[in-house]
Amino acid sequence: MNQNEYYGAYGGQYVPESLMNTLKELEEAFEEAIRDETFIRQYQEYLRQYVGRETPLYFAERLSNFCGTKIYLKREDLNHTGAHKINNVIGQILLARRMGKKKVIAETGAGQHGVAAATGAALFGMECTVYMGEEDAVRQALNVMRMEMLGAKVVRVRSGSNTLKDATNEAIRTWAKTAEDTFYIIGSAVGPHPYPRMVKEFQSVISREAKRQILEMEGRLPDAVLACVGGGSNAIGMFADFIGESRVRLIGVEAAGKGIASGEHAAAMAAGEPGVLHGMRSYLLQDEDGNVKLAHSISAGLDYPGVGPEHAYLRDTGRAEYVSVTDTEAMEALMTLCKLEGIIPAIESAHAVAYAIQYAKKLREELGEKEAADRRMIVCLSGRGDKDVNTIADYLAGKGYLN
Amino acid sequence: MNRIEERMQKLKEAGEKALITYLTAGLPDLEATKDILRACERAGCDVVELGIPFSDPVADGPVLQEASCRAIRGGVNVKKVFRTVAELRGEGLELPIVFMLYYNTVLHYGVEAFAAKCREAGVDGLIIPDLPYEEQGEISRCLEGSERTFLIQLVSPVSGERIPMLLKGAKGFVYCVSSMGVTGQDADFHREVLSYLTRVKEVSEVPVMMGFGIRTAKDVRPMEHIIDGAIVGTYFMKQLEKNDYRAEAAEEYCRKFKKELNCN
Repeated sequence: MNQNEYYGAYGGQYVPESLMNTLKELEEAFEEAIRDETFIRQYQEYLRQYVGRETPLYFAERLSNFCGTKIYLKREDLNHTGAHKINNVIGQILLARRMGKKKVIAETGAGQHGVAAATGAALFGMECTVYMGEEDAVRQALNVMRMEMLGAKVVRVRSGSNTLKDATNEAIRTWAKTAEDTFYIIGSAVGPHPYPRMVKEFQSVISREAKRQILEMEGRLPDAVLACVGGGSNAIGMFADFIGESRVRLIGVEAAGKGIASGEHAAAMAAGEPGVLHGMRSYLLQDEDGNVKLAHSISAGLDYPGVGPEHAYLRDTGRAEYVSVTDTEAMEALMTLCKLEGIIPAIESAHAVAYAIQYAKKLREELGEKEAADRRMIVCLSGRGDKDVNTIADYLAGKGYLN
Repeated sequence: MNRIEERMQKLKEAGEKALITYLTAGLPDLEATKDILRACERAGCDVVELGIPFSDPVADGPVLQEASCRAIRGGVNVKKVFRTVAELRGEGLELPIVFMLYYNTVLHYGVEAFAAKCREAGVDGLIIPDLPYEEQGEISRCLEGSERTFLIQLVSPVSGERIPMLLKGAKGFVYCVSSMGVTGQDADFHREVLSYLTRVKEVSEVPVMMGFGIRTAKDVRPMEHIIDGAIVGTYFMKQLEKNDYRAEAAEEYCRKFKKELNCN
């Protein structure tokens, strides 16, 4: 065990022998690139000119009034392609180009990472194949269309649960076969080392900006930062620059689906145990035989049975806390944000908003109205909800919300 | 002495090459698996790799993925397979048996307890495709001190400079993967397969077996002067499937393969 590749007991490189040299090459290229000023400048330039950064740290006044505490939204939904995923894709694709790779592959759940990967590939003239679970391809048909318009080939994966987990398996299989000329762009803070580190590096722009922005606006750090956690890429990006600030609470929000007790959820840290999947050791939902359990969440992007290894470590050390909210709570929060702020969030991000509302209530109860009103939290609004409109419509129809 | 070692010794003395077959345990049920293992022994098969079904077999192609899935649906798990092996050993089966499984199955069972159970049940080796050399410390420590169960090393066509490290201390045999990627790619071997096998053979102190994509003894003709044996997985499973998992079909296939492999 090489400690450099681990976060406490989590992480590592649990991949076939045929990928070990590839990972080593990748690690070396990555470490070299992030120390190269030209590379960093190029990355930042694309983030500025192409992605449209920096994103606003928006003070959500009406939501704040509703909750009785100050809530800031880090608007990752305003990035090109509609989510934080593009931050990481630009970084990895520049690295792929630097390494001389001509083809890229990616896995996708909600389709946001797939769209970002297809976008990056179009931008740099690379061949792109995206692996997507059949079920996800149905519920995110709009994103499939977008990827195809961008010139990517979308492979619908029919194995296991037909979702992100299986798309990732298929991407790993393809990668093991084609690593000699293909770069695998992992979208979440998961996978074998150095992926979790790399994704964190390219997503940490979220907290770097947010920290500076809140200091400018408030003159002090937030009391808490919140983000939804599937694999955990927007969360690790939102946490990164605050991990060293011990007074800032870090709160990750997992998907409780139909409720933890129902067994139909995607809360790896609430109900999982350490295991190995997708090249990493981390918390994992599994059955009594050690087979990976199907995750459930109304949000395709959180529908994942594992979680990034650094989150597992932050949880065990107590530096971050992880909570979960149900499909229903997330959808209610989504509607609240629509109506109060005129922002349609992705269902994934709505999980973080839902817990922000609950957390605000707790603050009022514990500290009193006056004290709560003076507290500040930042919620990472990781993506926009345009892609989810069909799911939202179905949900609302079932619940009779629109009547 | 470990059963694999013993068998390798005999093959060496006889100047014969080994046949290793793979089957997913529990298809269509564990009684059938027992019959097939007995048939393999009768046919002179040298080692059998018994696949423990797992939900996310990333090193396997569609055929073995599907087999794994069906076995899980049939209720097969590692505990039952341990019992099956122990029963076969009880009736005197001496065929070397290697588990092919994914690391999560071992972790979930408990690494220490798993290693002890292998010794007790009579499992002679472990092939864990998602456990590369760097991550083997934990299980190696638990297997140490007993010569009963070996961790089999896998080598790939792109292992390159890693080869000496992988082979240092290798036991039983070394499993050379013939191509990049997953199992079951119909003899589509890596373009540098011959030079890579030669390199492994030069360094290895244990017999060198080649697997992935092999269907018949003819497929390994081009490298028969280098390797010490062949591993047949996907194709063997396809044959079993085609013949309703009848033990006679397994026996016939193994006999023919073994004969053709050693006809020179």
